[in-house]
Amino acid sequence: MSEPTTRRRARLPLRDIVLMVMLGVVFGFLYWALVQAWNGLAVAMGPAGDLAQHLLLGGWLLVAPIAVAIIRKPFVGIIAEVIASVVEVVFLGSPVGPLLLVAAAIQGAGSELPFALTRYRRFGWGLYAASGLLGAGLVFVWSAFRFGWYGQDILALRLGMQLVSGLVLGGLLAKVIVDRLHGTGVLDEFAIGRADAALRGPVVRRER
Amino acid sequence: MTAATPYLGRRNPTVKAAILLAASLAILGFLDPRPLLGLYALAVAAVGVAGRVPPRTLVLGQVPFVVFGVGLVAVNGLSRPGTPIVPGSPVSAEGLTVGVALALRGLVIGVLTIGFLASTPPRDLMVSLVQHARLSPRYAYPVLAGHRMLAAMPARWATVRAAQAVRAPLRRGRPRFGLSDAGRAAFALLVTSIRSAERIALALETRGLGERSRTVWRPVPIGRGDVVLALVVLAAWVAAAVVDLGL
Repeated sequence: MSEPTTRRRARLPLRDIVLMVMLGVVFGFLYWALVQAWNGLAVAMGPAGDLAQHLLLGGWLLVAPIAVAIIRKPFVGIIAEVIASVVEVVFLGSPVGPLLLVAAAIQGAGSELPFALTRYRRFGWGLYAASGLLGAGLVFVWSAFRFGWYGQDILALRLGMQLVSGLVLGGLLAKVIVDRLHGTGVLDEFAIGRADAALRGPVVRRER
Repeated sequence: MTAATPYLGRRNPTVKAAILLAASLAILGFLDPRPLLGLYALAVAAVGVAGRVPPRTLVLGQVPFVVFGVGLVAVNGLSRPGTPIVPGSPVSAEGLTVGVALALRGLVIGVLTIGFLASTPPRDLMVSLVQHARLSPRYAYPVLAGHRMLAAMPARWATVRAAQAVRAPLRRGRPRFGLSDAGRAAFALLVTSIRSAERIALALETRGLGERSRTVWRPVPIGRGDVVLALVVLAAWVAAAVVDLGL
């Protein structure tokens, strides 16, 4: 378990890498289940189905803020999002195709930026909100280019829906999930648990 | 690898993945439906013949792209200013053209993705990425473990649901399963998965996976045929670009 930390400081422990993969797998599976239900609804809604994707977009941002809050190291948000997109494209055959990797990297960068600015030390509601907004906003620029939204009459409506979704589903919901996960004790061995333990002092471990 | 393996199945996964990503990015330059239609026809033929993907798989795999494409055509036709196709109608000709082009882009990427996935086992892709793209084994092995975990997800979900159903209040004779129950089940799935992530990390570490370079069982070959594949795809894209600029 000894990490050669002096030689390569940025190297992530295997435990953190597996956690990111697992987050990608679980959310990939849940999204996949959601998309199955969603496809039918999108057909039924016709042209509005194309608009409704913005309402759900925030859900796709979740992996990055959760991973950053748990692992608290640079680039974790981007790596976690890219791994999640690899799971979706290569293992689940996502209909978006390989460009999902590009979108994921952009989303991850946007979601991670607010936390990076505090040097991964603060994790309040405001930061999660900023994370969701930035993730949704940055990827909007890319999607708008890709799907030709510039020049449509409803560009502002699209942006507005996407930002609200990013704020609620991709930002605030992430904090709710991280706090509840933390409460279960399952994160005690990760950076988030260690930071907490350092504040609390010595603790008596619960028997499982 | 036998002679019965289709042509695409014998190509190097890293090369295929790189071609797929490059082709998907390069296609963003096209906004004229005509070269896109040509590329789509070529892609379907190539995946059907060189990948030997059964027609049924090819058709069914494209259903999500068609659904998405119909939405794109409709929303672009309605929301873009321009000359109406029929006087007085809200649908503009310019909008329709853009919509059809965007839908075709999606279809081309979709067919290529289907061909890639049908001809590339995930294990070969990861091993090849380690061998040829210098991907760290520290990431490759956890992702492969993740592939196994993904296959186990439906069973885990069923277990969590069964445990909840035992305690759930009945509604019309059946255990209730509303939105909040689904949320609870998803959270339970997340917690158990994070627990198993720790165990997997420990298992990988004790086996020395992810430390330094390793020899690989059944290495994935790379050869001249992969260069040919890249050149063929490049030629198709250049031809489409010529049509796009010339017309």
